[in-house]
Amino acid sequence: MTRSRILSRLTPYLFLIVPLVIYLIWIIGPTFYTFYLSLTDWDGLSTPNFIGWRNYLKLFRDPVFYTSLKNNLKWVVSFITIPVAAGLALAMALNRNIPGEKIIKASLYSPMVLSLVVGGLMWSWMYHPASGLINSMLRLVGLDVLAQGWLSDKNLVMWAIIIVAIWRQVGYVMVLYLAGLQSIDPSLVDASKVDGASGWQTFQHVIFPLLAPVTVIVVVVSIIDSLRAFDLVSVMTRGGPYNSSSVLANFMYIEAFNNYKMGYGAAIATILFLISLVFIFIYLWRILQTEMEY
Amino acid sequence: MKRISFTLLAIVTMLGILIACGPTTVTVEVPVEQTVEVPVEQTVEVPVEMTVEVPGEVVEKSILIYNSMHGDPLPREADEELVQMFEEEYPNVDVVHSIVAHEDFKQAIRAYLTASTPPDVMTWFAGNRARFFIDKGLIMDISDVWEQEGWNEDYAKGFRALSSVDDKQYFVPTSWYWWAVYYRPSIFEQYGLEPPQTWDEFLQVCETLKQNGVTPITIGTKYRWTAAAWFDYFNMRVNGPEFHINLMLGTESYTDPRVKTIFTDYWAPLIENEYFIEDAAAYSWQEGLQFMIDGDAAMYLMGDFIRDSFPDELEDDLDFFQFPIIDPSVPIGEDAPTDGYFIAANAQQPEEAKAFLAFLGSVEMQQYFAEKLGRLSTHNEVDISVFSAQQQKGIEMMQTADYVAQFYDRDTTPEMADEGMNGFMEFWDDPVSIDDILARLEQTRQEIFESE
Repeated sequence: MTRSRILSRLTPYLFLIVPLVIYLIWIIGPTFYTFYLSLTDWDGLSTPNFIGWRNYLKLFRDPVFYTSLKNNLKWVVSFITIPVAAGLALAMALNRNIPGEKIIKASLYSPMVLSLVVGGLMWSWMYHPASGLINSMLRLVGLDVLAQGWLSDKNLVMWAIIIVAIWRQVGYVMVLYLAGLQSIDPSLVDASKVDGASGWQTFQHVIFPLLAPVTVIVVVVSIIDSLRAFDLVSVMTRGGPYNSSSVLANFMYIEAFNNYKMGYGAAIATILFLISLVFIFIYLWRILQTEMEY
Repeated sequence: MKRISFTLLAIVTMLGILIACGPTTVTVEVPVEQTVEVPVEQTVEVPVEMTVEVPGEVVEKSILIYNSMHGDPLPREADEELVQMFEEEYPNVDVVHSIVAHEDFKQAIRAYLTASTPPDVMTWFAGNRARFFIDKGLIMDISDVWEQEGWNEDYAKGFRALSSVDDKQYFVPTSWYWWAVYYRPSIFEQYGLEPPQTWDEFLQVCETLKQNGVTPITIGTKYRWTAAAWFDYFNMRVNGPEFHINLMLGTESYTDPRVKTIFTDYWAPLIENEYFIEDAAAYSWQEGLQFMIDGDAAMYLMGDFIRDSFPDELEDDLDFFQFPIIDPSVPIGEDAPTDGYFIAANAQQPEEAKAFLAFLGSVEMQQYFAEKLGRLSTHNEVDISVFSAQQQKGIEMMQTADYVAQFYDRDTTPEMADEGMNGFMEFWDDPVSIDDILARLEQTRQEIFESE
């Protein structure tokens, strides 16, 4: 092998060294360190003592862990159904030249531009039981019975927060699908029309299958978004009343930074990470399969 | 090609998300509000006669970092003014002052204290919550400041004890406040009510108010600690302060029948009779106060800082009474949390920090706090004639107390307090589940206090 060939083989790695080192130091290292911490009783101040799997054993007996897990699950299920369906429907409806289409698109996307914290605060005011927009409107039209303590009722609170997340997510999904629709070859759609397919048939058999890669992305992004849900809960309820709106990320935060049980918090983080990892592997596996087809 | 670019986009997004949800990268968002530093302009009058002006040495300004948790409007104003006054007195010190919201500060303090360059001076709570850090060696011994400033004589013994561990001082207690039941005298007058002194009288007042369409008691329990005040008072009034503090220290059990009594016999009837405001868990304590300001609710069990958030124009229509006596044979305990300042053990500017503390604890600054905020001073020399009749009443109430507690989440460990306050909220929602709740609290108590 000549020197220049060796060099040309090495070049990509040389370029990769810097990002890889940064990645190792800032991402991989701390990830393993978190795992190590989860096996200790660290309180953030003292020297960590190794305590084996005690944090995990405690976690699996902790009812708040199961409440949080269930809430994350509610979040995932709502997220892969409602915003995906609504986003797709909106994309289909707006993927044509109708007057004001740009303004509608922009306004549907605008919640995404707001920070989650702002959205959460805004909705908290709307949910205010005595003088919030929602209850005031309900009372105005005589539906007093429907006026609720949205964020103080343990059965409603999680859904009240998920609605805010959905409100924000719909526009994002719509934009992803709009981009996907742009990439569909119009001649395929035309061909189906020539063959006499109805609008619904065209959608079912031509457009939707062609959108499959986008759908995969949307679903995986939605799942991961719902697993890392934190901001809205933190701003709107801090997981209250008594943990009924707790999600894993929020549970971890409260245990680690409020109760100063860093070790226990790290154990929660590790479990959350493992759950996320499952979906990431499914996703990567799919990507690799698609690549093979080319 | 489009597909590939989508894949690429997706991978990038994935990595971003993965990074964002990685366990170690949860960033603690602490809204830090930097106060604007007004450079003190020193106008130097140069005498005309002076012919040669020797260019003065450029004095390097030292930077003192001060983090405080005085987020409410009036305390914030006072806090900013005191920094300015300090800078005027010590022109060579530049104070970098950050005000962090109360709840966030409590969470951030461990990160501050363990940093290699911690903030030099910080606000904190006296008693157990400071003791915890002192035991870990994170707070600087300032016995020399106490000695030099003559504070050993100037501060009452109780406050000195609160600031000391093994007879060394670590803390400057600068203010304290009492808890009491605050009420709107105008509403009481309207229905011919008198401030109740016994439990029966209190229930009577609640009933009358409710009959007249006024919510007797307002409360905002979103952050839970407001409910802990009710627990503190029930426990101290029914079971006595000694039992209460032992429960806080983990030497009494939550499954003790005496604990259950306060929930079933005293707290539950208030909830079941709908004496508390509806949907309390949706409100912060300030939002809960709004009902009282609007005249929809009449009473609020709260610390004296309630006056900071009460509108000025209604100030005369806010008074308080001592939490009613339930069992006259039980010694009287009151909640009176004490706040103050300390220096981080690793402070970069220990000399300036000590000067700042000496300044804060001086009789002049204590007097300033007393006048500006109406806070009760810990300093003996402060002229208490500046206090209103109401405050004199509060001081008297505290002087007759047999025992002074700090507060539920200050007297017990943070973890126990967290579990306890969740328990109170669950009880509030579902009073019949009290046995389960107390069993769980007892389990937590054993895990925390018996592992030590």
